[in-house]
Amino acid sequence: MWLFMAPSVLVIALVLFYPFFSAVYYSFFNYYLGSQAITFAGFDNYTALLSEARFWITMGNTFFIVGASVALQLVLGLALALALYACTRGVRLISLLNFLPHVVTPVVGGIFLKWIFVGRWGLLDATLISFNIFPPDWLGDPDWARFTVIMADTWKFMPFLMLVLYAGLQAFDTALLEAARIDGASNWQLLWHIILPMMKPLILFVVAIRTMDAFRFFDLIYVLTNGGPGTATETITLYTYQIGFRLLEVGRASALGVLTLIVVAMMVALLIWFMQRRGREAF
Amino acid sequence: MKPRHQISLLVLLSVFTFINLVPILWGLLISIKQPADAFSIPPTLIFEPTLLFHWEVWVERGFFSFLINSLIVAAGTICISVPLGTLAAYGLARTKTKYASTLLFSLLAIRMLPQILLAIPFFVMARYLSLIDTYLMMILAMVAINQPFTIWLMRSFFVDVPVELDEAAMIDGCNRWQAFWHVVLPTVRPGLAVTSLFSMLLAYNEFLFALILTGSRTKTLPVAIAEYGGEDINYWSLSAAGAIGIMLPPVIFTILVQRHLIRGLTFGAVKG
Repeated sequence: MWLFMAPSVLVIALVLFYPFFSAVYYSFFNYYLGSQAITFAGFDNYTALLSEARFWITMGNTFFIVGASVALQLVLGLALALALYACTRGVRLISLLNFLPHVVTPVVGGIFLKWIFVGRWGLLDATLISFNIFPPDWLGDPDWARFTVIMADTWKFMPFLMLVLYAGLQAFDTALLEAARIDGASNWQLLWHIILPMMKPLILFVVAIRTMDAFRFFDLIYVLTNGGPGTATETITLYTYQIGFRLLEVGRASALGVLTLIVVAMMVALLIWFMQRRGREAF
Repeated sequence: MKPRHQISLLVLLSVFTFINLVPILWGLLISIKQPADAFSIPPTLIFEPTLLFHWEVWVERGFFSFLINSLIVAAGTICISVPLGTLAAYGLARTKTKYASTLLFSLLAIRMLPQILLAIPFFVMARYLSLIDTYLMMILAMVAINQPFTIWLMRSFFVDVPVELDEAAMIDGCNRWQAFWHVVLPTVRPGLAVTSLFSMLLAYNEFLFALILTGSRTKTLPVAIAEYGGEDINYWSLSAAGAIGIMLPPVIFTILVQRHLIRGLTFGAVKG
């Protein structure tokens, strides 16, 4: 049996664990790509980052953007899943069409959205102006840029939640819903007291997946705002990219990556703890 | 539900779907409009469509060669990731020890790794080995991202196959390998196709690693289109044509795997 796993384990060790541990190793060194001098720095990279304003700004941005967009996606995705569940016709076509934004290459999706939000020539501005409404600067104003990025993330990932939650709804025992209905439960009561409690493990599971992915999400923001204006939409991943691949400070970028991993791991641990406290597993 | 409610629900869903697809439709319109029409305010809806920009971007601006690069990377990733992942998935699906489940969950935990943390050592390695701008480095990086996912997804297909099938084959004189190769593997063929398609999509859509590891020779489509961007208004029609073309394979993918989308999206945890 173990022979079946050996090749894969070997490859994972080579392309995942080796790079991962070398990144952890780099994070303890003053290491600039291009210069030969590599000196041991201990925890200097970490302490420098933790005492830096920009680190906390980007961490705050990340939490704000991840939190707001995951919450928005969850509400919209759930509403859409319920609507699909209640619908009797054309469900397959509607879910397939709504799913498209999720499979479109993220960079391409970002460019499409840019043509909606870009100043003056974008579809949104053009439409608003034709109604004599003066539009805000969607990508240039810090607050609106955050809003736009959240909308973009929602556009891309809501379909994922919709589809998974819809699958969860379909797996339901309809007899239970029928019984509750005969007992006189209203639709809202059905939702609050039966559907949502039964969906809880699945909801926590998708939220965990989305949280992990949102922290490492890069493409859409890179194309839309590249972290701007200033650092208004700069997430931790974009900041790491700047340090690592623009400034070539490999040591510091690795430390930042390790810090990100710790934060994500803590978030996921929290979600798993929450999941197990309820005594149910999503698997 | 009353028919009247059904109809209003359907109308509501259709309106939402339309709004959701506006960015894509708008991109499509830009790509087939003359620039004079594309930028008029309010947006014109009646115009003479043209495929000029599609021709120009794919043939004259070399997007076709970027497509070849994307396909080479995707194919290389599938060729390494799927066979290895399938073997491991079979092993994991048929072992019931504590180690196996520990291994499975540590594979899931790998998903927590920020990709950028992996990108750094890959970049350093590529620089040291002079492997920047080669397919090899990009394929290895894609395998790294792909492998845990491939194993989980394939495992969910193997778990669906009753163990009795293996046992019957082994009673008939097959050894473990023969039972796997001649009996179990043929039954999971659809699973292999689905897993390959998902791996392909992942490699095809990848941007961060492609941005870092590829260069002028091996540039993949996402990097190429990002360079055109949406900024310079003179290139809008061209990059719209490129963007629409790049979008087609993922759309075909969705139609092909629609029955297995949910399983793929959730690491095989939820069976649609």
